[in-house]
Amino acid sequence: MTGAKRVVSPPAKGPTRSMWIVGAVVLVVGIALVAAIAVSSSNKAGSGGTPKGSAGTVVANGSHESAPVTVSGAALPEFNLSASTTDAAVGQTAPTLTGVNFAGEPITIGNDGKPKVIMFLAHWCPHCQAEVPRIQNWLDEHGLPSDVSLYAMPTSTNASRPNYPPSAWLVGKNWTVPVLVDSEQSDAATAYGLTSFPYFVVIGADGKVVERTSGELSMTDFAKLIDSARTGHPQ
Amino acid sequence: MSTATVSLFAALLALLCLAGSIVVAVLALMRRSRPESAAAALFEDLGPLALWFAWVVSLATTLGSLYFSDVAGFLPCKLCWYQRIAMYPLSVLLLIAAVRRDRSVWVYVVPQATIGALIAAYHTQLQAFPDQSSSFCTLAAPCTERYVWEFGFVSLPFMALVAFVFIIAMVLVARSSGALSPQPVHSGQQVGVS
Repeated sequence: MTGAKRVVSPPAKGPTRSMWIVGAVVLVVGIALVAAIAVSSSNKAGSGGTPKGSAGTVVANGSHESAPVTVSGAALPEFNLSASTTDAAVGQTAPTLTGVNFAGEPITIGNDGKPKVIMFLAHWCPHCQAEVPRIQNWLDEHGLPSDVSLYAMPTSTNASRPNYPPSAWLVGKNWTVPVLVDSEQSDAATAYGLTSFPYFVVIGADGKVVERTSGELSMTDFAKLIDSARTGHPQ
Repeated sequence: MSTATVSLFAALLALLCLAGSIVVAVLALMRRSRPESAAAALFEDLGPLALWFAWVVSLATTLGSLYFSDVAGFLPCKLCWYQRIAMYPLSVLLLIAAVRRDRSVWVYVVPQATIGALIAAYHTQLQAFPDQSSSFCTLAAPCTERYVWEFGFVSLPFMALVAFVFIIAMVLVARSSGALSPQPVHSGQQVGVS
């Protein structure tokens, strides 16, 4: 390293041209900033803005595809598919979720003294697409259980992925299970430790997690989940 | 400022980086074929600024990524983290190099930025064509999630990719500008000040 002896190269010419370059770059970046502010504020006025931000996504027909969800209570650990480990979430109190359904009506999944099964579904997930009609058929046959609440949570909703929007998908399958839509950041799914779809969390009457499972279920297994919720013990 | 505004601004900056990288590559080629041309002179003028430009871009990328994860609330996936690991140290390294006018910093920066660029390139195509299985994707932090998608192709990993490419271009400009030979490829010892 030679010392910092600054040789002011060809007087004035060099530095000035460098300044021009810096000036041009600053100018272009400034224009980009102004353009970004102008374009995004005009997008806000019109429709067709990309679904971003925390306000949630409402599609053209007014259906709420994602909306902010309030999570209260400690998050559950991530669900681990490996069967060899015991699920650390079992026995932990499940966080309370407050949000809205597709119609924008408020809905809360909390400790109301009733056992429940929460299903986390992604509209683009092929296993969820296979599972939903199967569950609906089973429910049509057996009816919604009166002593166990079922909830469906459309999560990881993404307009750029197949089978969007989830409301059209579930309505098309004559879905009767109450829905609470997750936020764009999938806050509820994260709080419940979701790692794959479809994802089922069984909560006992005491508000504590009974069991968690993931993947396509046979209807025998689905009925067992409802029994697990009812009895408070994995069946 | 809303997340939409920041996303668009970041996307525009990424396009500027891309344009800058292309211009620099063209200037370098023109300088090589005609060392006396105006393009060569412009290339030489860029030399003393190059490390500062590289630093500014690494800093903007670092702050941008922190904004998207900590302010906008986007969840960084595994691939995002690898790119962050390659990018964040550059924002310190390049500042030191710029202050010291250390034109040999390319030796350290190019390998690291190349690794970052390769990961970003893989991630960019993954977001562009999400219907492929990738072991990097977990559904809790899906790496195919297009948190930013401007102009039909500018995603967050695309921004990282062009930032890495631009930084590589700039440290190479710093390395070769001011060299006596127009083909400084083998002139190893280039440490020093202008």
